[in-house]
Amino acid sequence: MSRSGAIVADRIWKRFRPEQSRMLLRDQLQSFRHRKGRRERTWMWALRDISVALEPGDSLGLMGPNGSGKSTLLKILTRVMYPYAGRLDVSGRVGALIEVTSGLHPDLTGRENAFLVGSLLGLSRKDVALRFDDIIAFAELEAAVDRQVKFYSSGMKMRLGFAVSAFLEPDILIVDEVLAVGDASFQTRCLERMRDVLAQGTTLIYVSHDLPTIEATCARSIWLSHGEVQSDGPTPAVLVDYRRSLEEGAVLQRRNDGPVRVLEVTVDGEDGRAPQTNEPLEVTIVLEAREAKSGPLFLGVTEGPGTPVLTFSHDLILEEGKTSVRLRVADLPLPRGRFYLWMGMFGGRGRRHTFLPWGPVAHFDVAGPALGPTPHGIVRLAPVYAYASWDIDRPQGSSA
Amino acid sequence: MVPAEPPVELRFRRQLTYRKALGDLWHFRELVLTLGERELRARYKQAFLGFSWAILTPLVYMVVFTVFFQRVADVDTEGAPYALFSYIALVPWTFFSNAVSLGGVSLIQNIPLLNKVYCPREVFPIASTCVAAVDAACSLLVLAVLFLVYWYPPAWASIWVPVLFVVQLAFTLGVAFILSSALVYVRDLRHMVPIILQLGLFASPVAYGIDEIPTSFRWLYALLNPLAPVIDGYRRTVLHGAAPDLTLLGLGALTATVVLTGGYALFKRLETGLADVA
Repeated sequence: MSRSGAIVADRIWKRFRPEQSRMLLRDQLQSFRHRKGRRERTWMWALRDISVALEPGDSLGLMGPNGSGKSTLLKILTRVMYPYAGRLDVSGRVGALIEVTSGLHPDLTGRENAFLVGSLLGLSRKDVALRFDDIIAFAELEAAVDRQVKFYSSGMKMRLGFAVSAFLEPDILIVDEVLAVGDASFQTRCLERMRDVLAQGTTLIYVSHDLPTIEATCARSIWLSHGEVQSDGPTPAVLVDYRRSLEEGAVLQRRNDGPVRVLEVTVDGEDGRAPQTNEPLEVTIVLEAREAKSGPLFLGVTEGPGTPVLTFSHDLILEEGKTSVRLRVADLPLPRGRFYLWMGMFGGRGRRHTFLPWGPVAHFDVAGPALGPTPHGIVRLAPVYAYASWDIDRPQGSSA
Repeated sequence: MVPAEPPVELRFRRQLTYRKALGDLWHFRELVLTLGERELRARYKQAFLGFSWAILTPLVYMVVFTVFFQRVADVDTEGAPYALFSYIALVPWTFFSNAVSLGGVSLIQNIPLLNKVYCPREVFPIASTCVAAVDAACSLLVLAVLFLVYWYPPAWASIWVPVLFVVQLAFTLGVAFILSSALVYVRDLRHMVPIILQLGLFASPVAYGIDEIPTSFRWLYALLNPLAPVIDGYRRTVLHGAAPDLTLLGLGALTATVVLTGGYALFKRLETGLADVA
């Protein structure tokens, strides 16, 4: 038996039957009649050959698009589901930071339900009683403990179902999309709680679509896609792979059939060199319009999918035919790394017409200094690099 | 490159012994109590009459049986008042019926939980059985009243009751295990449960005595329906002060043991796939 908090999952496979949603006697009898036809029912592999090995105190991030098998893997690690094949050794108490709203009974009070959720998660009544005040304070339900849960708002129920699990003090903590629930302040408290638990040497597995929080909390990451491991290693490296694939997927999906088409995009640094931090950047775009159009052209620089780090816009009047547009940025405030250029053009009354849909058109690599580290668990909103110098004055006589 | 299928030798086998399973269950004993408490508390708060609903079912049956059955079918009660004769059988029958119907749907009703938290799944049917047991204990109050009204005190042989109850509990749990796990896989079976229980009421010696069954068939009767020797045993001991028919009870206990161990094994086997189909 390994030390408490270690996880060894070796070559895990899991499959489902896609049409299994209907399990009625009627269907069973039918399948009995047409036995031959049902023999080769198709199976869908949800996980294929996944291996995870974690030492006590490790933190692992799981990322991947919807349906890639992240939640299935977590369910197998928490023993809610059983794998089809593979070896599994999870030692120590596994706690999942999940909301168990479904376990709450509407006719019972918040206090009674806290004990109920506690025993569902494997805490004894004594444990819950000891932590009861903390749990209620965490859920901010002090005023409502003795009210029936059916009179709670959905947010209150969610916080109650969640708060108990935050006080589990397990050897292994599994967190699935905490940030998807609750308001901003509750999310912050959940993340803080997660860091406290981590600081005590708990093993963490964290699933999220919010890549910056994975970057901030997990040393190692696995990127899953279609139930297979695409990339496994230190979080920054996995994130680079993952973001690249997202962006390239978006480039592939890009429609280029609107009234304005992008013919050519080049991104250069000074004198045709690669872009450099705090040096000029030049973007050259060749657009082709099917007819005369006017409206603002938007350019954005993103680190991965979604929200841009920088945006630029310019009111443009396009004649029919080709137009070349050049944008110069004086000092590029970006650190080393790969960035993506997004573009879109809109017009008409209220800018409701899309001439060129917002999407990625090119990527470029910036050479220069990397960003410094952040305090553990602190998320940087966007990677902006600024030159800075430090002056440290030491009073005379106190030299080290 | 990942192969299309896992190699055969990699197939996951769950290493589970009765001992390990029972140890795990013991670890979660508090959850059984909490789940049972949840049901009882909620019912107590919700319903105006609270626990009296628990008493009502056997009471109504008893009145109906006394008014109609006794007149039409002239049952031989060996001197005991018919109301007492039927009620003492209705209490254990109602316990069985409640435990099976509550326990049968206990997994289906808790599917959202099954998908989120780990626990030995048998806690749900066991908790339902506990709830049914509390109901049965409440309905014993009426039995006490009947003893007073008819001035017909329970006999000394009532010390046999715990033995009879163990056999009954074993059979009840076994049926609850089988039904609850099977219902997850075959959902429309749940509509058949009330019908089968209704038939079971008349297939058990509740309204009539076991003497109505021909002697040569009684062993088969006890083997097929372990509740028959148990209910007959309650009557013999409490009402007539005699020992239970140990041959019949032994046959019933045999079936009960098979149903309990087999049912538990089946339950633990089906348990592995619960979250997949839920």
